[in-house]
Amino acid sequence: MSATREVISSGNELAAMAAVDAGCRFFGGYPLTPSSEVMHVISDLLPKVGGAAIQMEDEIAGVAAAIGAGMSGVRTLTATSGPGISLKAENLGLAQMCEVPLVVINVMRGGPSTGLPTRVSQGDVAQAKNPSHGDYKSITVCAGNLAECYTETVRAFNLADRFMQPVFVLLDETIGHMHAKAEIPTAQAVKEGIVPRKTFDGAPEDYLPYGVEQDQPAVLNPMFTGYRYHYTGLHHDASGFPTEEIETCRKLIDRLFQKVEKYTDEIESNEEYMIDDADILIIGYGSASLAIKEAINMLRKDGIKVGMFRPITLWPSPEKRLHELGQKFDKVLSVELNQGQYLEEIQRSMGRLDIAKLTKTNGRPFSPSDIIEKVKEL
Amino acid sequence: MSKIVMRFTGVGGQGVLLAGEIFAAAKIKEGGYGVKTATYTSQVRGGATVVDIQLDDNEIFYPYAIDGEIDFMLSVADISYQQFKNGVKDGGTIVIEPNLVHPTEEDRKRWNIVEIPIITIAKEEVGNVITQSVVALAIANTYTKALDENLLVETMLSKVPPRFHELNKKAYELGKKYATEAMAEA
Repeated sequence: MSATREVISSGNELAAMAAVDAGCRFFGGYPLTPSSEVMHVISDLLPKVGGAAIQMEDEIAGVAAAIGAGMSGVRTLTATSGPGISLKAENLGLAQMCEVPLVVINVMRGGPSTGLPTRVSQGDVAQAKNPSHGDYKSITVCAGNLAECYTETVRAFNLADRFMQPVFVLLDETIGHMHAKAEIPTAQAVKEGIVPRKTFDGAPEDYLPYGVEQDQPAVLNPMFTGYRYHYTGLHHDASGFPTEEIETCRKLIDRLFQKVEKYTDEIESNEEYMIDDADILIIGYGSASLAIKEAINMLRKDGIKVGMFRPITLWPSPEKRLHELGQKFDKVLSVELNQGQYLEEIQRSMGRLDIAKLTKTNGRPFSPSDIIEKVKEL
Repeated sequence: MSKIVMRFTGVGGQGVLLAGEIFAAAKIKEGGYGVKTATYTSQVRGGATVVDIQLDDNEIFYPYAIDGEIDFMLSVADISYQQFKNGVKDGGTIVIEPNLVHPTEEDRKRWNIVEIPIITIAKEEVGNVITQSVVALAIANTYTKALDENLLVETMLSKVPPRFHELNKKAYELGKKYATEAMAEA
């Protein structure tokens, strides 16, 4: 995607634009601060391209409608904030189990419960890994600047169709609402990059939507095209009908993991900022990385060499790269707007517990001075 | 141009957000970087609202104004004035709506506090209270000289429906007039 354009916009608006440019033609949802602008903008854009946006009676119905659209073969979106994800959780599990592609934008605010509706947080990182009960492998990307609100939403749609499952796009209040310049790919470039989901074009009687190799996603033909099959949240066999047969049940859940785990290279995406000559490594993501970058630039003026590793794909985590960095750097600082949800993943991947942390959960963003102060204590 | 940092504060529902977007957009059109962030409470109306605007020729990472770096603040509500004034650098300018904001004597020593009845101007002289955002835009640019006036007005008009162009031009001119007079008095 080389052709770019410059726009002046907010993160939420860019995410909505990206969805439409990436071929999304259905939105089902319910407005929730600080995500509401995604719905406002896409409600305006979708009818112009032959799509539809529906405000349902609540968040649960919103994601249900979006999943229904996904079953019919349409690229589909829902957007909300953490409290909305809590409500959508059960249906997100259904989409994981049925392997229905769907993009879920979560513009994070303070929680738990209704929390701090208008204020920033990164408290839904753990939730994005396992929003519903049961075993499955989350794919979660997290925008760290305005341009990524666009590019990561586009990528999420392509990943959803590639892996046939919901993909989370995490924004947060700061990034969703900040308003500035962003250089993003042209709509044409995005369109050219779309890879539609696989379909089966043999005889309908030979079609087995879940009859795929152990490392492959289901091949789900759009509904109403002559290929009849069954969707269920129960464990199911190759045809989609429920089963309790021991080996089939084992293989189904194994496959939900393997289809992602074997291809993490296709999903992983990180930014490494001034790492090469750094003595101290900061790990942060989302809007926290904006304060981190500013802090790094200020610290370097004082001769303190700090770099940043920023996972853009949070789940699956970049565990191999984190492990390497854990061996290279003595001093590692994790910075996140929660009590350390990703810190646990960093500790696990690096195989060490001595990771310094800077956390904040009062709804306020980090300032660069918060980070500078902490780095100087290390 | 070195970095200019501005802060507009009011209460939810007053519509101070738009001025920030106009500043940021105009600076970007000029070829630089402009960022606007807004922070507000979960109250629909009446909660303290703050809009931070940073304009720079260099790329801006951190989107909020850093306390102590704010050159210019404009406030139309006491609750948000009291909460956010300390971010303004010593000697910086704070324009207040004198009917609604009540600075202490200490404040007047620390900052250049200028009284301009922004809401009254919008309501009574322009004829529509909603134009206070544009009155504020004009005052802020007159004080900070942040951007070329023609570019700023052109950007402002591009965000306003054509039938309100004359009204907003008038609001801009009045804001500029009051600010120029206030500067001459000082």
